[in-house]
Amino acid sequence: MVATPESSPAVEFETQDLLLNVGPQHPSTHGVFRMVLQVDGEVVRDVIPYIGYLHRGAEKLCETMDFRQGIGFMDRTEYLAAHNAELSYVMAVEALAEIEVPERAQWIRMILCELNRLSSHFMFMGAFGIDVGVFATPFIYAWKEREQIIDLFEEISGDRMMYAYFRPGGLAWDVPVNFKQRVREVLKSVKIGIKDFDGLLTENEIFRARTQGVGVISAEEAIEWGMSGPSIRGSGVNMDVRKDEPYLFYDQIDFNVPTRTEGDVFARYACRMDEMWESVKIIEQCLEKMPDYGPIMPEKMPRMLRTPPGEVYIRTEAPRGEYGIYMVSEGGNRPYRLKVRSACLSNLQALRDMSVGQYLADAIIVLGSIDIVLSEVDR
Amino acid sequence: MTNENTDAAPAEQAPDLSGTIWSEVDRALSGVTVRPERGVLDLIVHIPPDEVIAGLRRLKTDEALNFNYLRCLTAVDLEEDGMDVVYHLYSTDKKHNLTVKTRLDNDALHVATATTVWKAANWLERETAEMFGIRFDGHPDPRTLLMPEDMTDTFPLRKAHPLAEIEILQGEGMGYPEEGE
Repeated sequence: MVATPESSPAVEFETQDLLLNVGPQHPSTHGVFRMVLQVDGEVVRDVIPYIGYLHRGAEKLCETMDFRQGIGFMDRTEYLAAHNAELSYVMAVEALAEIEVPERAQWIRMILCELNRLSSHFMFMGAFGIDVGVFATPFIYAWKEREQIIDLFEEISGDRMMYAYFRPGGLAWDVPVNFKQRVREVLKSVKIGIKDFDGLLTENEIFRARTQGVGVISAEEAIEWGMSGPSIRGSGVNMDVRKDEPYLFYDQIDFNVPTRTEGDVFARYACRMDEMWESVKIIEQCLEKMPDYGPIMPEKMPRMLRTPPGEVYIRTEAPRGEYGIYMVSEGGNRPYRLKVRSACLSNLQALRDMSVGQYLADAIIVLGSIDIVLSEVDR
Repeated sequence: MTNENTDAAPAEQAPDLSGTIWSEVDRALSGVTVRPERGVLDLIVHIPPDEVIAGLRRLKTDEALNFNYLRCLTAVDLEEDGMDVVYHLYSTDKKHNLTVKTRLDNDALHVATATTVWKAANWLERETAEMFGIRFDGHPDPRTLLMPEDMTDTFPLRKAHPLAEIEILQGEGMGYPEEGE
Protein backbone atom coordinates (compact mmCIF):
# COMPACT_ATOMS: atom_id res chain seq x y z
CA MET A 1 0.00 0.00 0.00
CA VAL A 2 1.36 3.39 -0.90
CA ALA A 3 0.96 6.08 1.72
CA THR A 4 0.82 9.54 0.24
CA PRO A 5 0.26 12.86 1.95
CA GLU A 6 -3.15 12.99 0.25
CA SER A 7 -4.30 9.69 1.73
CA SER A 8 -3.17 10.45 5.26
CA PRO A 9 -5.40 12.51 7.58
CA ALA A 10 -4.99 16.26 7.58
CA VAL A 11 -1.64 17.16 9.05
CA GLU A 12 -1.96 19.71 11.77
CA PHE A 13 1.50 19.74 13.21
CA GLU A 14 4.76 20.14 11.49
CA THR A 15 6.85 16.99 11.36
CA GLN A 16 10.54 16.76 10.88
CA ASP A 17 12.10 14.25 8.52
CA LEU A 18 14.50 11.81 10.08
CA LEU A 19 17.64 10.51 8.43
CA LEU A 20 17.99 6.82 9.11
CA ASN A 21 21.16 4.95 8.29
CA VAL A 22 20.82 1.30 7.23
CA GLY A 23 23.97 -0.75 6.79
CA PRO A 24 26.63 -1.36 5.68
CA GLN A 25 26.69 -4.20 8.20
CA HIS A 26 23.02 -5.02 8.43
CA PRO A 27 21.46 -8.43 7.78
CA SER A 28 18.72 -7.09 5.52
CA THR A 29 21.12 -5.39 3.12
CA HIS A 30 22.41 -8.74 1.81
CA GLY A 31 26.04 -7.87 2.29
CA VAL A 32 27.76 -4.55 2.66
CA PHE A 33 25.25 -2.14 1.21
CA ARG A 34 24.45 1.12 2.92
CA MET A 35 21.49 3.37 2.37
CA VAL A 36 20.47 6.53 4.08
CA LEU A 37 16.71 6.76 4.27
CA GLN A 38 14.92 10.02 4.81
CA VAL A 39 11.76 9.06 6.64
CA ASP A 40 8.70 11.01 7.57
CA GLY A 41 7.23 8.88 10.32
CA GLU A 42 7.03 5.48 8.67
CA VAL A 43 7.06 6.74 5.11
CA VAL A 44 10.23 6.84 3.05
CA ARG A 45 10.78 10.21 1.37
CA ASP A 46 14.23 9.70 -0.11
CA VAL A 47 16.85 6.99 -0.45
CA ILE A 48 20.56 7.62 -0.90
CA PRO A 49 22.42 4.37 -1.63
CA TYR A 50 26.14 4.03 -0.91
CA ILE A 51 28.08 1.21 -2.51
CA GLY A 52 31.72 0.31 -3.00
CA TYR A 53 32.47 -1.43 0.30
CA LEU A 54 33.34 -4.62 -1.55
CA HIS A 55 35.26 -3.05 -4.42
CA ARG A 56 38.35 -5.15 -5.12
CA GLY A 57 39.30 -3.82 -8.52
CA ALA A 58 38.71 -7.08 -10.37
CA GLU A 59 38.80 -5.24 -13.70
CA LYS A 60 42.23 -3.77 -13.09
CA LEU A 61 43.54 -7.07 -11.75
CA CYS A 62 42.36 -8.95 -14.82
CA GLU A 63 44.28 -6.53 -17.04
CA THR A 64 47.49 -7.79 -15.46
CA MET A 65 46.79 -11.50 -15.79
CA ASP A 66 46.57 -13.79 -18.74
CA PHE A 67 43.22 -14.93 -20.03
CA ARG A 68 43.04 -18.12 -18.01
CA GLN A 69 44.04 -16.49 -14.74
CA GLY A 70 41.17 -14.04 -15.01
CA ILE A 71 38.55 -16.80 -14.69
CA GLY A 72 38.96 -17.01 -10.94
CA PHE A 73 38.22 -13.33 -10.55
CA MET A 74 34.96 -13.67 -12.43
CA ASP A 75 33.82 -16.24 -9.87
CA ARG A 76 34.44 -13.73 -7.16
CA THR A 77 32.43 -11.00 -8.81
CA GLU A 78 29.30 -13.12 -8.82
CA TYR A 79 29.72 -15.76 -6.17
CA LEU A 80 26.12 -17.01 -6.14
CA ALA A 81 26.16 -17.82 -9.85
CA ALA A 82 29.83 -18.28 -10.60
CA HIS A 83 29.26 -20.56 -13.58
CA ASN A 84 27.22 -17.86 -15.32
CA ALA A 85 29.88 -15.27 -14.63
CA GLU A 86 32.65 -17.49 -15.95
CA LEU A 87 30.60 -18.22 -19.03
CA SER A 88 30.50 -14.57 -20.13
CA TYR A 89 34.22 -14.24 -19.61
CA VAL A 90 35.28 -17.36 -21.49
CA MET A 91 32.83 -16.58 -24.28
CA ALA A 92 34.47 -13.17 -24.67
CA VAL A 93 37.90 -14.78 -24.97
CA GLU A 94 36.55 -17.36 -27.42
CA ALA A 95 34.90 -14.66 -29.54
CA LEU A 96 38.15 -12.68 -29.75
CA ALA A 97 40.42 -15.67 -30.33
CA GLU A 98 37.89 -17.36 -32.64
CA ILE A 99 37.93 -20.64 -30.77
CA GLU A 100 35.32 -23.25 -31.64
CA VAL A 101 33.93 -24.97 -28.55
CA PRO A 102 33.10 -28.70 -28.87
CA GLU A 103 29.43 -29.57 -28.76
CA ARG A 104 29.57 -31.69 -25.63
CA ALA A 105 31.29 -28.94 -23.66
CA GLN A 106 28.54 -26.51 -24.67
CA TRP A 107 25.79 -28.84 -23.40
CA ILE A 108 27.61 -29.32 -20.10
CA ARG A 109 28.00 -25.56 -19.79
CA MET A 110 24.31 -25.08 -20.35
CA ILE A 111 23.34 -27.66 -17.73
CA LEU A 112 25.70 -26.17 -15.17
CA CYS A 113 24.54 -22.62 -15.83
CA GLU A 114 20.91 -23.55 -15.43
CA LEU A 115 21.65 -25.52 -12.27
CA ASN A 116 23.46 -22.47 -11.00
CA ARG A 117 20.40 -20.37 -11.80
CA LEU A 118 18.33 -22.77 -9.71
CA SER A 119 20.72 -22.62 -6.78
CA SER A 120 20.88 -18.85 -6.98
CA HIS A 121 17.10 -18.52 -7.08
CA PHE A 122 16.79 -20.87 -4.10
CA MET A 123 19.14 -18.57 -2.26
CA PHE A 124 16.90 -15.65 -3.22
CA MET A 125 13.77 -17.44 -2.04
CA GLY A 126 15.30 -18.19 1.33
CA ALA A 127 16.77 -14.75 1.91
CA PHE A 128 13.65 -13.03 0.62
CA GLY A 129 11.56 -15.04 3.04
CA ILE A 130 13.59 -13.59 5.89
CA ASP A 131 13.23 -10.07 4.46
CA VAL A 132 9.48 -10.45 4.39
CA GLY A 133 9.39 -11.78 7.92
CA VAL A 134 9.02 -15.55 7.54
CA PHE A 135 12.01 -16.27 9.65
CA ALA A 136 14.13 -19.38 9.06
CA THR A 137 11.59 -21.85 7.63
CA PRO A 138 11.96 -20.97 3.94
CA PHE A 139 15.63 -20.35 4.43
CA ILE A 140 16.24 -23.86 5.69
CA TYR A 141 14.03 -25.33 2.95
CA ALA A 142 15.99 -23.38 0.36
CA TRP A 143 19.28 -24.39 1.87
CA LYS A 144 18.35 -28.06 1.66
CA GLU A 145 17.79 -27.88 -2.11
CA ARG A 146 20.69 -25.56 -2.77
CA GLU A 147 22.97 -27.91 -0.88
CA GLN A 148 22.18 -30.74 -3.32
CA ILE A 149 23.13 -28.58 -6.29
CA ILE A 150 26.26 -27.28 -4.60
CA ASP A 151 27.27 -30.86 -3.74
CA LEU A 152 26.94 -31.76 -7.40
CA PHE A 153 29.12 -28.80 -8.37
CA GLU A 154 31.67 -29.90 -5.83
CA GLU A 155 31.79 -33.38 -7.34
CA ILE A 156 32.39 -31.85 -10.75
CA SER A 157 34.71 -28.94 -10.11
CA GLY A 158 36.08 -29.60 -6.65
CA ASP A 159 34.76 -26.37 -5.22
CA ARG A 160 31.46 -25.33 -3.75
CA MET A 161 31.35 -21.70 -4.80
CA MET A 162 34.35 -20.56 -6.85
CA TYR A 163 34.35 -23.23 -9.52
CA ALA A 164 36.82 -21.94 -12.13
CA TYR A 165 35.63 -24.87 -14.23
CA PHE A 166 35.02 -23.23 -17.60
CA ARG A 167 38.07 -22.54 -19.73
CA PRO A 168 38.44 -20.69 -22.99
CA GLY A 169 37.72 -23.48 -25.47
CA GLY A 170 35.71 -25.73 -23.21
CA LEU A 171 36.01 -27.14 -19.73
CA ALA A 172 38.87 -27.75 -17.33
CA TRP A 173 38.26 -31.50 -17.25
CA ASP A 174 35.48 -33.91 -18.08
CA VAL A 175 32.47 -34.43 -15.85
CA PRO A 176 32.25 -37.65 -13.78
CA VAL A 177 30.84 -40.71 -15.57
CA ASN A 178 27.63 -40.65 -13.54
CA PHE A 179 26.99 -36.98 -14.39
CA LYS A 180 23.63 -37.44 -16.09
CA GLN A 181 22.36 -39.74 -13.39
CA ARG A 182 23.42 -37.33 -10.67
CA VAL A 183 21.80 -34.35 -12.41
CA ARG A 184 18.55 -36.32 -12.69
CA GLU A 185 18.70 -37.17 -9.00
CA VAL A 186 19.23 -33.53 -8.09
CA LEU A 187 16.42 -32.42 -10.40
CA LYS A 188 14.02 -34.86 -8.78
CA SER A 189 14.69 -33.31 -5.41
CA VAL A 190 14.69 -29.76 -6.78
CA LYS A 191 11.24 -30.22 -8.29
CA ILE A 192 9.86 -31.22 -4.90
CA GLY A 193 11.63 -28.21 -3.42
CA ILE A 194 10.08 -25.76 -5.86
CA LYS A 195 6.63 -27.22 -5.18
CA ASP A 196 7.23 -26.81 -1.44
CA PHE A 197 8.10 -23.18 -1.98
CA ASP A 198 5.04 -22.58 -4.05
CA GLY A 199 2.94 -23.81 -1.17
CA LEU A 200 4.97 -22.09 1.48
CA LEU A 201 5.24 -18.60 -0.01
CA THR A 202 3.41 -18.07 -3.32
CA GLU A 203 0.05 -19.23 -2.08
CA ASN A 204 0.50 -17.69 1.34
CA GLU A 205 -2.11 -15.03 2.04
CA ILE A 206 0.13 -13.02 4.38
CA PHE A 207 3.04 -13.14 1.95
CA ARG A 208 0.84 -11.84 -0.85
CA ALA A 209 -0.60 -9.06 1.27
CA ARG A 210 2.92 -8.04 2.16
CA THR A 211 4.34 -8.04 -1.37
CA GLN A 212 1.56 -7.19 -3.81
CA GLY A 213 1.37 -3.56 -4.88
CA VAL A 214 4.65 -2.71 -3.16
CA GLY A 215 7.66 -1.19 -4.92
CA VAL A 216 6.01 -0.77 -8.30
CA ILE A 217 8.10 0.26 -11.28
CA SER A 218 6.67 0.72 -14.76
CA ALA A 219 8.07 -0.93 -17.86
CA GLU A 220 9.25 2.40 -19.30
CA GLU A 221 11.07 3.35 -16.12
CA ALA A 222 12.63 -0.09 -15.84
CA ILE A 223 14.00 0.18 -19.38
CA GLU A 224 15.17 3.73 -18.77
CA TRP A 225 17.12 2.62 -15.68
CA GLY A 226 18.68 -0.29 -17.55
CA MET A 227 17.22 -3.00 -15.35
CA SER A 228 17.45 -6.59 -16.55
CA GLY A 229 16.67 -10.14 -15.60
CA PRO A 230 13.63 -11.10 -13.51
CA SER A 231 13.52 -7.55 -12.14
CA ILE A 232 12.59 -6.09 -15.54
CA ARG A 233 10.47 -9.06 -16.58
CA GLY A 234 8.32 -8.45 -13.51
CA SER A 235 7.41 -5.13 -15.10
CA GLY A 236 6.22 -6.76 -18.31
CA VAL A 237 9.28 -6.30 -20.50
CA ASN A 238 9.97 -9.51 -22.35
CA MET A 239 13.72 -9.35 -22.41
CA ASP A 240 15.96 -12.37 -22.00
CA VAL A 241 19.33 -12.73 -23.70
CA ARG A 242 18.80 -16.49 -23.96
CA LYS A 243 15.77 -15.92 -26.19
CA ASP A 244 16.68 -12.65 -27.93
CA GLU A 245 20.28 -13.42 -28.86
CA PRO A 246 20.70 -17.15 -28.24
CA TYR A 247 24.13 -18.30 -27.21
CA LEU A 248 25.26 -21.89 -26.48
CA PHE A 249 22.37 -24.07 -27.73
CA TYR A 250 19.46 -22.11 -26.30
CA ASP A 251 17.99 -21.84 -29.80
CA GLN A 252 17.53 -25.64 -29.88
CA ILE A 253 15.66 -25.73 -26.60
CA ASP A 254 11.97 -25.18 -26.03
CA PHE A 255 11.40 -22.86 -23.09
CA ASN A 256 9.35 -19.80 -22.15
CA VAL A 257 10.35 -16.48 -20.67
CA PRO A 258 7.97 -15.84 -17.75
CA THR A 259 6.86 -12.22 -17.48
CA ARG A 260 4.44 -10.37 -15.25
CA THR A 261 2.85 -7.01 -15.82
CA GLU A 262 2.33 -5.75 -12.26
CA GLY A 263 5.92 -4.56 -11.72
CA ASP A 264 5.69 -4.97 -7.95
CA VAL A 265 7.71 -7.02 -5.49
CA PHE A 266 5.44 -10.02 -5.88
CA ALA A 267 5.79 -9.95 -9.67
CA ARG A 268 9.57 -10.05 -9.44
CA TYR A 269 9.32 -12.93 -6.98
CA ALA A 270 6.82 -14.80 -9.17
CA CYS A 271 9.03 -14.37 -12.26
CA ARG A 272 11.88 -16.07 -10.44
CA MET A 273 9.60 -18.84 -9.27
CA ASP A 274 8.35 -19.49 -12.82
CA GLU A 275 11.88 -19.26 -14.13
CA MET A 276 12.92 -22.13 -11.91
CA TRP A 277 10.41 -24.41 -13.63
CA GLU A 278 11.76 -23.26 -17.00
CA SER A 279 15.31 -24.03 -15.87
CA VAL A 280 14.23 -27.54 -14.91
CA LYS A 281 12.67 -27.90 -18.36
CA ILE A 282 15.87 -26.68 -20.05
CA ILE A 283 18.10 -29.05 -18.07
CA GLU A 284 15.86 -32.02 -18.87
CA GLN A 285 16.06 -31.25 -22.59
CA CYS A 286 19.83 -30.75 -22.39
CA LEU A 287 20.24 -34.15 -20.75
CA GLU A 288 18.36 -35.73 -23.66
CA LYS A 289 20.45 -33.97 -26.28
CA MET A 290 23.88 -34.09 -24.66
CA PRO A 291 26.18 -36.75 -26.16
CA ASP A 292 27.66 -39.20 -23.65
CA TYR A 293 31.12 -39.13 -25.10
CA GLY A 294 33.14 -36.60 -26.98
CA PRO A 295 35.84 -34.01 -26.60
CA ILE A 296 35.43 -31.16 -24.13
CA MET A 297 38.29 -29.04 -25.49
CA PRO A 298 39.36 -28.26 -29.06
CA GLU A 299 42.23 -30.47 -30.20
CA LYS A 300 44.77 -27.71 -30.55
CA MET A 301 44.79 -25.23 -27.73
CA PRO A 302 47.94 -23.11 -27.35
CA ARG A 303 49.60 -23.18 -23.96
CA MET A 304 49.83 -19.40 -23.94
CA LEU A 305 46.56 -18.09 -25.27
CA ARG A 306 46.79 -14.96 -27.42
CA THR A 307 44.00 -13.15 -29.22
CA PRO A 308 44.16 -10.87 -32.23
CA PRO A 309 43.48 -7.18 -31.48
CA GLY A 310 39.83 -6.37 -31.21
CA GLU A 311 36.97 -5.76 -28.84
CA VAL A 312 33.78 -7.55 -27.99
CA TYR A 313 30.83 -7.06 -25.68
CA ILE A 314 29.47 -10.45 -24.62
CA ARG A 315 26.21 -10.63 -22.70
CA THR A 316 24.62 -13.65 -21.10
CA GLU A 317 21.56 -14.09 -18.97
CA ALA A 318 22.72 -14.65 -15.40
CA PRO A 319 20.17 -15.26 -12.61
CA ARG A 320 20.14 -11.57 -11.68
CA GLY A 321 20.04 -10.24 -15.20
CA GLU A 322 22.39 -9.42 -17.99
CA TYR A 323 25.99 -10.16 -17.06
CA GLY A 324 28.13 -8.52 -19.71
CA ILE A 325 31.84 -8.61 -20.39
CA TYR A 326 33.38 -5.87 -22.49
CA MET A 327 36.85 -7.06 -23.42
CA VAL A 328 39.42 -5.14 -25.43
CA SER A 329 42.51 -6.95 -26.59
CA GLU A 330 45.52 -5.43 -28.24
CA GLY A 331 46.93 -8.74 -29.32
CA GLY A 332 48.62 -9.93 -26.16
CA ASN A 333 48.02 -12.74 -23.73
CA ARG A 334 45.90 -10.59 -21.43
CA PRO A 335 42.95 -8.24 -21.82
CA TYR A 336 43.90 -4.62 -22.45
CA ARG A 337 40.68 -3.54 -20.82
CA LEU A 338 38.03 -5.61 -19.13
CA LYS A 339 34.71 -4.20 -18.01
CA VAL A 340 32.16 -6.21 -16.11
CA ARG A 341 28.64 -5.04 -16.78
CA SER A 342 26.89 -5.86 -13.56
CA ALA A 343 23.18 -6.54 -13.67
CA CYS A 344 22.78 -5.68 -10.00
CA LEU A 345 24.40 -2.26 -10.36
CA SER A 346 21.86 -1.21 -12.96
CA ASN A 347 18.98 -2.78 -11.06
CA LEU A 348 20.05 -1.04 -7.88
CA GLN A 349 19.90 2.36 -9.58
CA ALA A 350 16.13 2.04 -9.72
CA LEU A 351 15.92 1.41 -5.95
CA ARG A 352 15.12 5.03 -5.20
CA ASP A 353 12.23 5.13 -7.66
CA MET A 354 10.84 1.92 -6.22
CA SER A 355 11.11 2.79 -2.52
CA VAL A 356 10.07 6.44 -2.29
CA GLY A 357 6.56 6.69 -0.90
CA GLN A 358 6.67 3.21 0.63
CA TYR A 359 6.72 2.31 4.29
CA LEU A 360 10.08 1.79 5.93
CA ALA A 361 9.55 -1.96 6.31
CA ASP A 362 8.65 -2.20 2.64
CA ALA A 363 11.87 -0.50 1.58
CA ILE A 364 13.65 -3.59 2.90
CA ILE A 365 11.62 -6.01 0.80
CA VAL A 366 12.00 -3.79 -2.27
CA LEU A 367 15.74 -4.10 -1.85
CA GLY A 368 15.36 -7.84 -1.31
CA SER A 369 13.22 -8.21 -4.43
CA ILE A 370 15.98 -7.07 -6.79
CA ASP A 371 18.18 -9.84 -5.36
CA ILE A 372 21.43 -7.95 -5.08
CA VAL A 373 24.82 -9.56 -4.73
CA LEU A 374 27.12 -6.83 -3.50
CA SER A 375 30.25 -8.42 -4.84
CA GLU A 376 28.76 -8.10 -8.31
CA VAL A 377 27.71 -4.50 -7.71
CA ASP A 378 31.14 -3.42 -6.48
CA ARG A 379 33.39 -5.84 -8.37
CA MET B 1 46.06 0.38 -29.44
CA THR B 2 44.85 1.46 -32.84
CA ASN B 3 46.50 4.51 -34.27
CA GLU B 4 43.67 5.39 -36.61
CA ASN B 5 42.69 8.98 -36.75
CA THR B 6 39.09 9.52 -35.68
CA ASP B 7 38.59 11.92 -38.56
CA ALA B 8 39.70 9.44 -41.22
CA ALA B 9 37.33 9.50 -44.15
CA PRO B 10 35.10 6.39 -44.32
CA ALA B 11 36.06 5.89 -47.97
CA GLU B 12 39.65 5.08 -47.03
CA GLN B 13 38.86 1.71 -45.54
CA ALA B 14 35.30 1.05 -46.63
CA PRO B 15 34.65 -1.81 -44.20
CA ASP B 16 32.22 -4.51 -45.21
CA LEU B 17 29.01 -3.60 -43.38
CA SER B 18 26.57 -5.90 -45.14
CA GLY B 19 24.13 -7.61 -42.82
CA THR B 20 24.39 -4.86 -40.21
CA ILE B 21 22.03 -2.04 -39.36
CA TRP B 22 24.47 0.51 -40.80
CA SER B 23 22.07 1.87 -43.44
CA GLU B 24 19.49 2.65 -40.76
CA VAL B 25 22.09 4.16 -38.44
CA ASP B 26 23.52 6.25 -41.26
CA ARG B 27 20.08 7.63 -42.04
CA ALA B 28 19.30 8.41 -38.40
CA LEU B 29 22.66 10.10 -37.89
CA SER B 30 22.63 12.27 -41.01
CA GLY B 31 24.47 15.50 -40.23
CA VAL B 32 26.60 13.88 -37.52
CA THR B 33 30.20 12.91 -38.25
CA VAL B 34 30.16 9.12 -38.13
CA ARG B 35 32.72 6.47 -38.96
CA PRO B 36 31.47 2.87 -38.97
CA GLU B 37 33.48 -0.22 -38.15
CA ARG B 38 32.52 -3.87 -38.07
CA GLY B 39 32.84 -5.35 -34.59
CA VAL B 40 32.99 -9.02 -33.65
CA LEU B 41 29.28 -9.09 -32.76
CA ASP B 42 27.88 -5.60 -33.15
CA LEU B 43 28.31 -2.62 -35.42
CA ILE B 44 30.62 0.04 -33.97
CA VAL B 45 30.26 3.72 -34.84
CA HIS B 46 32.76 6.43 -33.93
CA ILE B 47 31.35 9.89 -33.25
CA PRO B 48 33.41 12.94 -32.16
CA PRO B 49 32.84 13.98 -28.52
CA ASP B 50 31.05 17.26 -29.24
CA GLU B 51 28.40 15.51 -31.33
CA VAL B 52 28.04 12.24 -29.45
CA ILE B 53 25.12 13.15 -27.18
CA ALA B 54 23.11 14.58 -30.06
CA GLY B 55 23.85 11.38 -31.96
CA LEU B 56 22.82 9.15 -29.05
CA ARG B 57 19.59 11.08 -28.60
CA ARG B 58 18.76 10.63 -32.26
CA LEU B 59 19.51 6.90 -32.05
CA LYS B 60 17.14 6.65 -29.12
CA THR B 61 14.28 8.65 -30.59
CA ASP B 62 14.52 7.28 -34.13
CA GLU B 63 11.50 5.05 -34.61
CA ALA B 64 13.14 2.43 -36.77
CA LEU B 65 16.15 2.07 -34.47
CA ASN B 66 14.63 2.83 -31.06
CA PHE B 67 17.74 2.30 -28.92
CA ASN B 68 15.86 2.71 -25.66
CA TYR B 69 18.20 0.67 -23.47
CA LEU B 70 21.74 1.53 -22.39
CA ARG B 71 23.49 -1.75 -21.72
CA CYS B 72 26.83 -0.47 -20.61
CA LEU B 73 28.90 2.68 -20.49
CA THR B 74 32.61 2.63 -19.87
CA ALA B 75 35.94 4.01 -21.01
CA VAL B 76 39.21 2.63 -22.33
CA ASP B 77 42.52 4.32 -21.57
CA LEU B 78 44.62 4.40 -24.74
CA GLU B 79 47.52 6.19 -23.04
CA GLU B 80 49.01 8.74 -25.48
CA ASP B 81 46.07 8.36 -27.90
CA GLY B 82 43.59 9.65 -25.35
CA MET B 83 40.58 7.81 -24.01
CA ASP B 84 37.59 6.17 -25.61
CA VAL B 85 34.17 6.46 -24.00
CA VAL B 86 32.12 3.46 -25.07
CA TYR B 87 28.33 3.21 -25.07
CA HIS B 88 26.63 -0.15 -25.65
CA LEU B 89 23.08 0.37 -26.84
CA TYR B 90 20.24 -2.07 -27.23
CA SER B 91 16.66 -1.89 -28.37
CA THR B 92 14.24 -3.91 -26.25
CA ASP B 93 11.66 -4.22 -29.02
CA LYS B 94 13.79 -4.25 -32.18
CA LYS B 95 16.36 -6.51 -30.46
CA HIS B 96 19.43 -5.03 -32.13
CA ASN B 97 22.70 -3.72 -30.73
CA LEU B 98 25.04 -0.86 -31.45
CA THR B 99 28.33 0.24 -29.96
CA VAL B 100 29.06 3.97 -29.99
CA LYS B 101 32.60 5.16 -29.29
CA THR B 102 33.97 8.64 -28.87
CA ARG B 103 37.65 9.52 -28.64
CA LEU B 104 38.69 12.13 -26.05
CA ASP B 105 42.02 13.93 -26.15
CA ASN B 106 44.21 13.68 -23.08
CA ASP B 107 44.07 17.45 -22.57
CA ALA B 108 40.27 17.58 -22.90
CA LEU B 109 38.95 14.65 -20.90
CA HIS B 110 35.32 15.66 -20.75
CA VAL B 111 32.13 14.88 -22.62
CA ALA B 112 28.51 15.86 -22.07
CA THR B 113 26.52 13.56 -19.84
CA ALA B 114 24.31 10.83 -21.29
CA THR B 115 21.95 10.95 -18.29
CA THR B 116 19.82 13.33 -20.33
CA VAL B 117 19.26 10.46 -22.78
CA TRP B 118 19.02 7.43 -20.47
CA LYS B 119 18.76 7.52 -16.67
CA ALA B 120 20.81 4.32 -16.64
CA ALA B 121 23.91 6.36 -17.46
CA ASN B 122 23.89 7.93 -13.99
CA TRP B 123 25.90 5.43 -11.95
CA LEU B 124 27.84 4.16 -14.93
CA GLU B 125 29.14 7.67 -15.60
CA ARG B 126 29.95 8.22 -11.94
CA GLU B 127 32.01 5.03 -12.00
CA THR B 128 33.74 5.95 -15.27
CA ALA B 129 34.48 9.44 -13.95
CA GLU B 130 36.17 8.29 -10.76
CA MET B 131 38.05 5.44 -12.42
CA PHE B 132 39.39 7.36 -15.44
CA GLY B 133 39.16 11.03 -14.47
CA ILE B 134 36.76 11.85 -17.29
CA ARG B 135 34.39 14.70 -16.52
CA PHE B 136 30.79 14.25 -17.61
CA ASP B 137 29.51 17.79 -18.07
CA GLY B 138 26.08 18.39 -16.61
CA HIS B 139 25.94 15.19 -14.58
CA PRO B 140 23.20 15.56 -11.96
CA ASP B 141 25.08 13.77 -9.19
CA PRO B 142 28.86 13.96 -9.69
CA ARG B 143 29.91 12.15 -6.51
CA THR B 144 32.19 9.13 -6.39
CA LEU B 145 30.45 5.77 -6.61
CA LEU B 146 32.76 2.94 -5.59
CA MET B 147 35.76 4.90 -4.35
CA PRO B 148 35.95 6.82 -1.04
CA GLU B 149 34.31 10.25 -1.17
CA ASP B 150 37.59 12.13 -0.89
CA MET B 151 39.47 10.07 -3.47
CA THR B 152 39.10 12.43 -6.39
CA ASP B 153 42.73 12.89 -7.43
CA THR B 154 43.81 9.35 -8.40
CA PHE B 155 42.22 7.31 -11.12
CA PRO B 156 42.75 3.58 -10.57
CA LEU B 157 41.82 2.25 -13.99
CA ARG B 158 44.21 4.48 -15.90
CA LYS B 159 47.10 2.57 -17.37
CA ALA B 160 49.54 4.88 -15.61
CA HIS B 161 48.16 3.93 -12.21
CA PRO B 162 50.31 1.15 -10.74
CA LEU B 163 48.80 -2.05 -9.49
CA ALA B 164 51.04 -1.82 -6.48
CA GLU B 165 52.13 -5.23 -5.38
CA ILE B 166 52.39 -7.04 -8.68
CA GLU B 167 54.22 -4.23 -10.41
CA ILE B 168 56.69 -3.85 -7.59
CA LEU B 169 57.34 -7.60 -7.77
CA GLN B 170 57.78 -7.37 -11.52
CA GLY B 171 60.42 -4.73 -10.97
CA GLU B 172 62.29 -7.25 -8.85
CA GLY B 173 61.86 -9.95 -11.48
CA MET B 174 59.39 -11.92 -9.38
CA GLY B 175 56.08 -11.08 -11.02
CA TYR B 176 54.18 -12.77 -13.78
CA PRO B 177 56.19 -13.51 -16.93
CA GLU B 178 56.19 -10.65 -19.38
CA GLU B 179 54.99 -11.14 -22.92
CA GLY B 180 57.30 -13.31 -25.03
CA GLU B 181 59.18 -14.90 -22.17
